[in-house]
Amino acid sequence: MTEEFEPRIVAFLCKWCSSAGSDLAGVSRLEYPPNVVPIQVMCSGSISPLYIFSAFNKGADGVLVSGCHPGDCHYTKGNYYARRRLNLVKKLLEYIGLEPERFQMSWVSAAEGQKYTQVIKQFVEELKPLGPQTKLRRNG
Amino acid sequence: MAKIEELREEARRLLRDGKVKYIIGYGTGRDGWRAVPIFIRQPEEADRLIWNPTCVHNLSRFLADEKRRQAREKKPDRRPVGIVVKGCDSRAIVVLLQEKFIRRDDLVVLGVSCEKTGVIDEDKLTDKLKGKKPEKIEFGDQGEFIVAAGNEKIAVSAGELLAERCRECRANFPVIYDFLTGEKSPRPVERPFGSIERMEALSSEERWAFWKNELEKCIRCYACRSVCPMCYCDECVVDSISLAVTADTTAEEKAQKIKWVQKSPEISENFVYHLVRAIHLGGRCIDCGECERACPLEIPLRFLNKKLEKEAKELFGYEVGFDVSQPPLISCFRDDDPGDFIR
Repeated sequence: MTEEFEPRIVAFLCKWCSSAGSDLAGVSRLEYPPNVVPIQVMCSGSISPLYIFSAFNKGADGVLVSGCHPGDCHYTKGNYYARRRLNLVKKLLEYIGLEPERFQMSWVSAAEGQKYTQVIKQFVEELKPLGPQTKLRRNG
Repeated sequence: MAKIEELREEARRLLRDGKVKYIIGYGTGRDGWRAVPIFIRQPEEADRLIWNPTCVHNLSRFLADEKRRQAREKKPDRRPVGIVVKGCDSRAIVVLLQEKFIRRDDLVVLGVSCEKTGVIDEDKLTDKLKGKKPEKIEFGDQGEFIVAAGNEKIAVSAGELLAERCRECRANFPVIYDFLTGEKSPRPVERPFGSIERMEALSSEERWAFWKNELEKCIRCYACRSVCPMCYCDECVVDSISLAVTADTTAEEKAQKIKWVQKSPEISENFVYHLVRAIHLGGRCIDCGECERACPLEIPLRFLNKKLEKEAKELFGYEVGFDVSQPPLISCFRDDDPGDFIR
């Protein structure tokens, strides 16, 4: 029997909203797939596109960037910058032929533990049929 | 018609009056027909300036070098620098001004208009002449090229020799200048992003196969970076050796330095390098095509950079390099930026 492919997702979560939201999911004992490697960042606006390329390069099957809802940013406008910049990143990754599902972005507030689990569940469901990400992965 | 005599006269005047310390322009190369960048400092040298369809270079690259030189000198000559620009090059200057990398007062922009044509693609010329050595190429009066080769002069329609980027160019005359020779007549471009649309029409797998095939060739000589007027960072993120290693950097610090990209020209690393470069040029690349021209392996890098120019226009209504007063693309935002890809 072959084992089912378990994707590995690197999730960049903003400290003020999404990271707190994932914490809430944890303390509320909500169940969600264990495929996520969360990385706390201070703001979604602080995420360099290089982090995303680098995550794919080092073997991530999917990358999630999650921040505060527009208007809720702790630093007032970081997520607006992120929205603009990461839209370009998404378009570029699609353009070179990476599956569009592999890079996703979401807004999760500190109160949305439920939504966080939904985002992760859906992401994992979408990645499973794609199989491992080998296009940008470094060999060895 | 852009008149070289007008340009030379202006250059002579500027140098004679000491208005500029030197002028960056085009001169004839040692092979007698190709243009090369030249730097002229004396009024008499103004006659060396030329303007013909081989003036492919984007000279605004030298402004970054000038800025560094000034920073190094104890008593720098603060007079402005004269620079000869085509339409595309002037857009590069607009971007540099937007980013406040250079000051408008430090420049005297000598514009030349490409009018109905543009510059040539040398490979197309080689094919056209079937091995004959070109001796001289000039602009014709009707928007054609006059090629002199092997004792004969032939007129070739611009479409046959024009560089691909020129066919999609929306700035056939400089958008910013202090002096201009040639007409300011806009040229209609049917499909400014035609080449990108053709790429986008391919399936995801076909595009992957295309880019894999192309970027596999990359030997990481960084010619694209060296020639790019926008790649002016003092430290490049892909050079892990140049990341602030000073005399008091300890061995431990060096060992723990994050290596975002390995130096080896493997396909995965090449992808990271070219993706990073593309995204850093997003909303800044003005499609001068220098990276593609300088590439020894003929990787069509234009297709990567131009894609983001297209997205900037479609997603954010942002036109690269036309308006000095607008902020750079990713250092501004609008409340109604598209966010439909976000959950």
